[in-house]
Amino acid sequence: MSHATTRAPFKARADAALADRTLKLAIDRTTGTAEAKRAAALSAFPEFEAARARGKAIKDHVIAHLDHYLEEFERNAIASGARVHWAADDAEARAIVTRICLEADARLVTRAKSMLGEEIGLPHALADAGIERVETDLAEHIIQLAGEAPSHIIWPAMHRTREQVADLFRTGHHPPPAAEDPASMVQSARRELRAKFLGADVGISGANFLVADTGATCTVTNEGNAELTTTPPRIHIVTAGIEKLVPSTAHAFALLRLLVRSATGGEMTQYTTFHCGPKRPGDADGPEEMHIVLVDNGRSRMLADEFRAMLRCIRCGACMNHCVVYRQIGGHAYGGTYPGPMGAVLTPVLDGLAAARDLPHACTMNGRCAEVCPVGIPLPTLLRAWRARSWREGREPGAVRAGLSLWARLATRPRLYRLASRIGVRGLRLFGRGGWIARLPLAGGWTAHRDLPRPEGRTFMEQYRAWQARKGAGR
Amino acid sequence: MTARDRILNAVRAGLPTPRATPDAIAAEARALLDAPEARRPALAAPGLADSFCAKAAALGTTVARLPDLAALPEAVRGYLADHGLSATLALQPAPSLAVLDWSGIERHSAIAPDEPVALGLARWGIAESGSLVIHSGPDTPILLSFLPLHHIVVLHEDRLLPHLEDYAARTAGEAPPRNAILITGPSGTTDIEGSYVRGAHGPGFLHVILIAPEARPAD
Ligand code: SF4
Repeated sequence: MSHATTRAPFKARADAALADRTLKLAIDRTTGTAEAKRAAALSAFPEFEAARARGKAIKDHVIAHLDHYLEEFERNAIASGARVHWAADDAEARAIVTRICLEADARLVTRAKSMLGEEIGLPHALADAGIERVETDLAEHIIQLAGEAPSHIIWPAMHRTREQVADLFRTGHHPPPAAEDPASMVQSARRELRAKFLGADVGISGANFLVADTGATCTVTNEGNAELTTTPPRIHIVTAGIEKLVPSTAHAFALLRLLVRSATGGEMTQYTTFHCGPKRPGDADGPEEMHIVLVDNGRSRMLADEFRAMLRCIRCGACMNHCVVYRQIGGHAYGGTYPGPMGAVLTPVLDGLAAARDLPHACTMNGRCAEVCPVGIPLPTLLRAWRARSWREGREPGAVRAGLSLWARLATRPRLYRLASRIGVRGLRLFGRGGWIARLPLAGGWTAHRDLPRPEGRTFMEQYRAWQARKGAGR
Repeated sequence: MTARDRILNAVRAGLPTPRATPDAIAAEARALLDAPEARRPALAAPGLADSFCAKAAALGTTVARLPDLAALPEAVRGYLADHGLSATLALQPAPSLAVLDWSGIERHSAIAPDEPVALGLARWGIAESGSLVIHSGPDTPILLSFLPLHHIVVLHEDRLLPHLEDYAARTAGEAPPRNAILITGPSGTTDIEGSYVRGAHGPGFLHVILIAPEARPAD
């Protein structure tokens, strides 16, 4: 069970998000830029389609031979001097990381943003063990000050406007920022975190890739916080999902070209770093110990069922930037570690369908996510698979089941169906004003946050018939 | 049963049997890298150095080109003066840098937490992306590339590689260092409302000094 799961029902969370104008402003500012920059990066990379097909094939290859690559990676990581741990679920992963920290008498831990760390509930586990945790990624630093969970996998503090960040830094930084423009606030965070980087006992990072043939883990950042997290402390711990494997460094590069363009619209992250074992004898700096925790947490189950394609995900965030639902409600309303379309597929895996049944329904099936996904994950198909499973398991509420059964009875009787649509279309017009229907009895859930186009007055079939008749007459 | 066995068993349970042989898997993995030119961006300019410079400049990296390494200290003095910085430098303890005439500049090898300027050598440069490659080692501290506000990097033009895969090919089979780092532009963040700010945690200024290949004596 993910620690980020909020207890209020999804509909209540979504309603609250929709009513929050500041949130909408904050989401629009970042997703708008992200969408435009991605489009520009792709137009400068005409080979993108071919690269995407190959990226998908690389991930499929690794998944099909995952046992082989896990063993190869483990062998090479151990040969490099790293220690490899295996965690079947989030509880095991938390226990391994806290044990390493406690055995090292760690008082201060720095962490470079990792969604897997959030997934396994690492922030809470460290707090429970009495270990001070300092988030070093700027966005994670912002949400740590706010006491919040990430709302986006690339921009965890996307839900915060610059004015809100200024409020947090004014009380959280000593001294407070000199001014409240983004540049001054970034400066202030740089100053605030510098001493923490150098004073930490343990640095924890995630991994964007695990390179099987070298045993290296790879992180990508734009700020440089990962290397400042993984170099000065005596111990470096990596937590990574088992699906992060790639055969070699060259395969990692092929995926990196897709990842960066899809995530931020850049071509390369500023820092792409391979970490291979602890510091070598004679090295000028680096940690004395490196631990790698390989986490399953539902991934081997996905391998065996219809959600296998989801294991291709490289966590770029493009699907949420382009999702009409995410852009209205933001990440927190989803209630899990991962928001947006990919989160709506993953959260039922991690938290169970009973807790996350609403998420696969929070989708218009417009297909934008699958269109932009750099590894070709058919997200709408996977969401539909969750809906079907929910139906099979009898999890859909009575009203929905009754409504759908009624619709099914009508839909299999064409004459009755046409009659019902004729009545419906004419009835609906009564509620419209101009071209739109702003309020509809019994359908407040639909019209509270959006208008429905007012129907034409005749059904499609009626208009089609009339058109055919005209065509016939004109011949 | 250990967690390792449980995970590997669960993974295998989801995959078909019999499992492919390691040789067959390796052949498939190699085939996934064939004909890379169809799936990567073309170079920004015909020559490696020009392409590197174009890409680097687009990211906010400044580039200077020098005829040889002996000209380096003078160029560094100029850079420090242009930026109103005092004549002090954290210098990577590399033999090729130590032998240069640094008179007028105070040098040290320990890197302070708020080091204003540090200078080091890149092992390779990548023309495709304007990236610098740095490997950790006895005379290459990683923090030298991350703590300073100004990071000056010396790159020999004959160490330029066209594409990312060429770097992977160059190092394949070698024992990897603790850290191999590709640096592409100064540190930056877009974490506040997506607006780009330089110098988040790493250097806010990245200055590359490209050294021309040694002139070959005429026959
Ligand atoms: S599902 Fe695709 S688009 Fe979404 S985060 Fe994963 S890789 Fe990116």
